[in-house]
Amino acid sequence: MDRIYFDISATTPLSPKVGDYMYALQKEVYGNPSSIHREGQAAHAVVEKSRRQLAKVLNCNPDEIIFTSSGTEANNMVLKGVLKSGDHFITSSYEHPAILKVLPTLIKSGVEVSQVKPNSKGHISLKNIASEVQSNTRLISIMQVNNELGCINPIREIGEFAASENILFHSDAVQALGKIPLDMQSIPIDFLSMSAHKLYGPKGAGALFKRDGIILDPLIHGGGQEGNLRASTENLAGIGGFGLAAELAAISLEENTDHIKDLENCFLSHLDDLEINYFINGENRIPGVFNITFPGEDGSSLVMRLDLAGISISFGAACASGTTKASSMLLDMGLSEADARASVRISFGKIHSRKEVKKVIETIHSLIKHNQLTDAIEG
Amino acid sequence: MPSKDKVLVAMSGGVDSSVALLEIIEAGYEAIGITMKLWEYRDVGGNLLDDSNCCSIGAINNAKLVCDRMGVAHYTLDFTGVFRETVVDNFAEEYLAGRTPNPCVRCNSFVKWDAFIEQADQLGAQYIATGHYARIIQSDNNFRLAKGKDPLKDQAYVLWGIPAETLQRTLLPLGDYTKEDVRNIARKHKLETAETPESMEICFVADNNYKRFLKDYAPNEIEAIGQGKIVEGNGEVVGVHSGYTNYTIGQRKGLGLSNSEPRYVSKIDPDSNRIFIGKKESLYEQSCRVTQINWLEQNLHFPIKVNAQIRYNSQPVPAVVKQNGEKLLVQFVAPQLSITPGQSIVFYRDDIVIGGGIIELN
Repeated sequence: MDRIYFDISATTPLSPKVGDYMYALQKEVYGNPSSIHREGQAAHAVVEKSRRQLAKVLNCNPDEIIFTSSGTEANNMVLKGVLKSGDHFITSSYEHPAILKVLPTLIKSGVEVSQVKPNSKGHISLKNIASEVQSNTRLISIMQVNNELGCINPIREIGEFAASENILFHSDAVQALGKIPLDMQSIPIDFLSMSAHKLYGPKGAGALFKRDGIILDPLIHGGGQEGNLRASTENLAGIGGFGLAAELAAISLEENTDHIKDLENCFLSHLDDLEINYFINGENRIPGVFNITFPGEDGSSLVMRLDLAGISISFGAACASGTTKASSMLLDMGLSEADARASVRISFGKIHSRKEVKKVIETIHSLIKHNQLTDAIEG
Repeated sequence: MPSKDKVLVAMSGGVDSSVALLEIIEAGYEAIGITMKLWEYRDVGGNLLDDSNCCSIGAINNAKLVCDRMGVAHYTLDFTGVFRETVVDNFAEEYLAGRTPNPCVRCNSFVKWDAFIEQADQLGAQYIATGHYARIIQSDNNFRLAKGKDPLKDQAYVLWGIPAETLQRTLLPLGDYTKEDVRNIARKHKLETAETPESMEICFVADNNYKRFLKDYAPNEIEAIGQGKIVEGNGEVVGVHSGYTNYTIGQRKGLGLSNSEPRYVSKIDPDSNRIFIGKKESLYEQSCRVTQINWLEQNLHFPIKVNAQIRYNSQPVPAVVKQNGEKLLVQFVAPQLSITPGQSIVFYRDDIVIGGGIIELN
C-alpha cells in the first residue's frame, strides 16, 4: 500500500540531499573535532560550517549557536540553567512537554511558576503575560508556533515587552524554524530552541540560540565543547545534517510556502466540496498545519482507521507509549470535551502533492460518512 | 480476492498474547494489535520496570516490537480512567467491606470485552482475540465458553462474566495449547516475548503485596482501621490482629496464635473490626448465596445440577443451583472449605461454562 504521511508536525522524512551529506560525513569525517591533528581539524570544520549555516538562517552571530541533542534539551538547558530558587517564571499552559514537564522540577527547587492559557484563537496574548509579571520575574518562555495548532504567537511583542521589563525571554521555535522567517537581529529574544528533524533534517540534532553576553549554566558537564556549555563529543553527522537542512529550508522558504498554501486551498475546497462537517481550531497559523474538528467523530479512532487505510495523521500530541488523551489545550480554547475528542491534527509540507491532499480528504469522507449515516438512521 | 476478516488481538506484551497474534495471522486473518493501558505503575508504587507487568512501558514496547516484526499495526489505548473506577476502586472497597475481590474477573466482565468489541466495531473488525487459555465451542449458532485443554493454565474461571453476546465474536487461539506448547511456538518463531515471566496474580499490584497496595491506594481508610480483636467461635477474645483488611477467609498463618490445633480465619466483620477464627472443620459450609450473576448459557431450568468452582485454584465440585428471585442459592453435594465472600463462583457442565457470580455470605 502506498502510504501518505500527513504528520509533518510530528517529524519529517530526511531530505535526500541531507541524507547523502550525512552518509558521506559518517564514512569520511571520523575525527574528533577537539583533536589537534588533521582528522580533528576536518571534523571541527564540519561543526563550524554548520554553525555558520544556522547563524545565517537566524541572522545571528555563529557564536550564539550551541548544538544540542534536541529541542527538548535546548529547552531544558534554558529553564534549568537560568532559573534559581526565588525566581519567578512565566510560560503558557500549551507549551510542549519539553517545557511543561520541567515545571515540577523547577517548583521543587523553589521557582515560582505562572502559566498563561491560550485565548479562543489559539494565541498567548501579551496582555495576559503582562498581568502575571512580578518583581522577581526572571524568565518568560512562550513557544513561537504551537505544535498542536500551528498558531503563531506574537513573539516580537512579547520580546519587546520582556526587554522593557528587564526579563529574559526564551521561545521554543521547534515548529517554526524553516517554516517562517526568524530574524534574531530584529526580534528581541534571548534564547531560541530548535530541532533538525522538523525541517527534513536528522533526529537527534538540536540547537539553542543564546544571545551574546547572557550567562547560562550548562546542563551536561564534561569536556569543553560548545563554548563550555554542552559537553560531549559532537554528533558530527547530525550537526552537519542540521546545518544543511536549515540552509535548504531557508533558500526555498518562499517557494515552499507558496506550494503549501496552494495545498491548503485544495484541502479546504475539497472538504467543502464533499460537504464534510468540520471546523478548524486556531487562527494565524503556519501553512500546512490544521487542527481540525470533525464533530461527532472519535479523533483517536479516526487516526487509527486512517492509518489502516494508509494515511498518517495525529490525535493530540504523541507520547512515548503511544497512548492519547483529549487535548486540554482545546478545552482551554473553549471547545467542548466532545469536540476536543473529535479533533485531529493534519499536517503536510513541501513533499506533498494536490493528488495526495485529495486522496486524504476522500478517505476521510469515506471513513466518517458511515457514522453520519448511522446518526441519520438513529435520529 | 475478498478482503480478509479483521481481528483485534489484545496484546499485553507477554508470551501468550504474542503467540495468540501469531495464530491469528497463520489462520489467515488480518490482525490489528491493541494494547490496553490500564494502569500507571508510578501512581501507586510497586516495582516499576519489570517487563512482566502488563501496562508497563516495557510490556507495551514488547507488544509493539512483536507486532512490527509480523507487519501488524499496533495501537495503545488508554483505559486507565475506566479501569481505576471500575476495577481498582472496587478492589479497595471490597477489602474494606471485609471481602476478597477478584479484579481480573471484574476487568474482563466490565472493561476489557466491552472496550475491545467497541474498538473492533470502530475499526471494522469482525472479531477480537485474546491469549486466554480457554476455548469457544460452536455448534450451530450457539457459542459456548469452555475450559482450556491445559488443566494447569485453564483461565475459563476468570471469563465467566464476559457478555454472552460477545462469545460469537471472540477468538481464543490458545485454548488447545499447554503453556509449554505456547513457549515452544514462541521460541521456534524467536519472538522477543518467548521468555517473559508469568504475570503476577493482580496486574496493578506489581509487587504482589495487596496490603502495601491498599495502604498506598486508600491510606486514610486503612489508617482508620487499626488493631482489632481475634475471636474464637465461642466468643472468647484470644488475640489482637493488625486490621481486618490484612486477612482472608481460610488464612492460617500470621494470626500470632499458639494453639495445639491450628486455627483459621472463618469470618471477617468489618463493622466491629473483628476476625473470627475456628478449627478447620468450622470452615466447611454446605451452601452459599450468589449475586451479580452472568449466564453464558440460555434457557436454563432451575434447579440445575452443575459443577461449581469457588476459587481460581480449586477443582469444580458437584452442586445444585436454585433460583431465589434475583439471587441464587448454591447447595454443594459435599461441604466446601473456606467459601469466601467476594470471590467468583463459576458453574460448569463438563467443560462448558454455564455462568457464574459473586459469592455472598449465607
